[in-house]
Amino acid sequence: MDTVHFVIDKPQRWDSSFDPEMSEGAVNRLLGIRPFSEMDVTKFSKRTPLRGILKNDTRIRRFKNGEIIVRAGDYGSSAYLVLSGHARVVLNPGLPASMLGRRKSQRKGLFEIVAQLWTNPRDPEVRTQAELVQDTGVKARSSTKGAGVFLQDVPRILDEHKTAMMSAGDFFGEIAALSRTTRTATIFAVGNETELLEIRWQGLRDLLRFDDHLRHHIDRIYRERTLATHLREIPIFKKLNDEQLKRVIEQTQFGTYGDYDWSGDYKRLAKEGRHTPEKETIIAQEGDYPNGVVLIRSGFARLSQKFGHGHRTLNYLGAGCEFGLREIAHNWRQRTDAVPFQQTLRVIGYTHVIVVPTPVMEEVVLPTVPEGDLPALFTPGELAETEISDTTRKLDAGAKIGPELMEFLTENRYFNGTSSMVIDLERCTRCDDCVRACATTNEGNPRFLRHGQISGRIMVANSCMHCADPVCLIGCPTGAIHRGQVGGEVLVNQATCIGCSICSNNCPYEAIRMVEIREEDGAFMVDKDMKPIVKATKCDKCSDQIGGPACERSCPHGALKRMDMNNLDAFARWLHR
Amino acid sequence: MKGFVRRRLLWVGLLVAATVSVVSVFPVWAGATTRAAYLTGWLLFGLMVLLTGYNWFKKIPYLPLGRSELWLQFHIYAGLFTGVLFFLHVGGRWPTGWFELGLTILYAIVMASGVLGIFISRGWPKRLTARSGEVPFERIPVIRRELRERAEALALSTVPEAKSATVAEFYLRRVHDFFGGPRHFFSHLFEIRLPLNALQNDFTDLKRFLNERERQVAEQLVALVRQKDSLDYQHALQLTLRLWLFIHIPITYSLMLWAIAHIVLVYGFSAGAR
Repeated sequence: MDTVHFVIDKPQRWDSSFDPEMSEGAVNRLLGIRPFSEMDVTKFSKRTPLRGILKNDTRIRRFKNGEIIVRAGDYGSSAYLVLSGHARVVLNPGLPASMLGRRKSQRKGLFEIVAQLWTNPRDPEVRTQAELVQDTGVKARSSTKGAGVFLQDVPRILDEHKTAMMSAGDFFGEIAALSRTTRTATIFAVGNETELLEIRWQGLRDLLRFDDHLRHHIDRIYRERTLATHLREIPIFKKLNDEQLKRVIEQTQFGTYGDYDWSGDYKRLAKEGRHTPEKETIIAQEGDYPNGVVLIRSGFARLSQKFGHGHRTLNYLGAGCEFGLREIAHNWRQRTDAVPFQQTLRVIGYTHVIVVPTPVMEEVVLPTVPEGDLPALFTPGELAETEISDTTRKLDAGAKIGPELMEFLTENRYFNGTSSMVIDLERCTRCDDCVRACATTNEGNPRFLRHGQISGRIMVANSCMHCADPVCLIGCPTGAIHRGQVGGEVLVNQATCIGCSICSNNCPYEAIRMVEIREEDGAFMVDKDMKPIVKATKCDKCSDQIGGPACERSCPHGALKRMDMNNLDAFARWLHR
Repeated sequence: MKGFVRRRLLWVGLLVAATVSVVSVFPVWAGATTRAAYLTGWLLFGLMVLLTGYNWFKKIPYLPLGRSELWLQFHIYAGLFTGVLFFLHVGGRWPTGWFELGLTILYAIVMASGVLGIFISRGWPKRLTARSGEVPFERIPVIRRELRERAEALALSTVPEAKSATVAEFYLRRVHDFFGGPRHFFSHLFEIRLPLNALQNDFTDLKRFLNERERQVAEQLVALVRQKDSLDYQHALQLTLRLWLFIHIPITYSLMLWAIAHIVLVYGFSAGAR
């Protein structure tokens, strides 16, 4: 019997435009507006010309009064340029979650879950046509008429919350989009004529790569607006008045270390066995004069201390952590007994930092901090390395989980995982209940291997870790791999995945697999050239299931845990349970 | 107090409390009714149904029925509690009829295999981890074949290179079979190193008859032998960690069928027993 096969085209870069309705006229208009009008079109490559980026990676959106543009806490992959009208950014305290109109993620209903008993297909990697074509998310993305969330009582919000106005030419959302972090503030439209240009991060990345103007433009805006919000969140800067804060902002320096696309370089070095702390770029070195407080804005840095002829990793610092404050506060109080940096801070992969210089700290910031809030002074015993203070003990995660495990986590960059699959091999009976549970829950397709790097009794399995810095998102030409809207899980949209393997190759942890997909009758899906259709698959943390990750729930011995590796205290507790 | 210790104390406490309650209440029941065995029997059967349900629970992980770890704890301690109920049910006497004897033997096998399961599930993962050479069970045959091919190629390489067949002949006589499949299963289970030591000693004896090139090959072969031994160790322990369930689960179902037949017979013949 003949079977009618479902044939689809293998998509290409820019096949899936951000907005298919983006006209040449609109692009011409954008080319006449700053910062695009100031860009040198000859600097762009032939494959990704400025016009092409504007045509395919941007869309013009119009918002009505009170309509939310971005929400604090959401993961977003776009930046926005105000073309006309106004928008307001809500400063701290942010709006309550209920006011932001948050919607629940799409979990399966109880009946759908029970129905898995008889609906799971017999063949592996089966995709229904509905999964591949009728993706409402894609339709919503390519349309400007998607449902929005409106704030009902804007005047009251303006009364109760501190807000800042944004006008034509202002840029926002670029840091969240580029560093793949959550939006830090909610922004809503003011008036019915707010027109924004939304640039998806792939386009923003290319614009920054080929044009200095935009990079400087973003830098300036970042200094003026984001930095104030960011500094206000840090306890030590909270007591500053506006004038003092302005002085701090003016003299603050930015630094971006490492590579935005760090995973390829890391994989190459790891394969060659050449990845050592000594090869990592140093942000601040132990023994040097502390010339500023380093605040990590995004990415990760390794905190280490000299030990013998090597370096012992104490901890890794992520976004929101500071380095050097204790030394500077000590020197400010004990001018005759100055101490240098006590540890070294190194870049791991990609790190974006802001540095508040020591003179600014001493003259402006530290005098505003109550004595009790200042970090403890270094004791002579500490400086002579004969005693360990509580501050150092708290910081020294390596002591809590053991130096070998600490090195292992850092060397393999597992600190990136917000939901790493950690297996205690001294409790794991190798029964593979976790793998079977994963397969049963995912229509017969296990989404991880119970295999991975081992240190002592701990194995980190080859499963998606839902990274804090998900490098797999870098380079996806269609944006198919994305953050979930609520939990921040990294998900693959099967409808828009073109099977290019970029995410799979980028993933340093080998957690993404490319599979040839099948129709419901078990036949392989093919394109017009009869080549198999390939899709990226990975753990989605059972985000559509009620009970959470099936792997963790199904382990009879409590040997498997999904762990946030940025919370080493929790990891230490689990380890010593 | 550590989490596991606290948990164990809690469950042991519950088990002791349940045992003390049932044992102290049972004489009261027995005095009040002539059908006390019916009560313990149904209690025992109900608990056995729940315990058997754990196997089904594992097959439907997508249903939000709680964590398997918690269910296993219940399975272990409720399973131990069935021992108390079983004792009370049979009145502490050894069964006389063949039917009851069969039921008792099945129960004993299920209980013993379960206890063995707990023992090896708690202890053997530590042994596997301490020995290193962690490998997924299904990859073992592939790795074993690779080791055998490397060993054979090494042994054969000495013939043209050293112009001597001493190593090749030794390989055929003493080592070839070792690489042929999983070996020394029980030695590995009981941590007995004698077979490996014997093979290594044979290599040591052989070395005095070898030239420099052959010695190098022999040393490389010894390294491969150690790798194969580690692989066999993983195989023996991992296989046993899986195999005990192939006794525990089928016998459980047999026990359940036997228990159902027991209930039918008890009610079938109960009319004349009054």
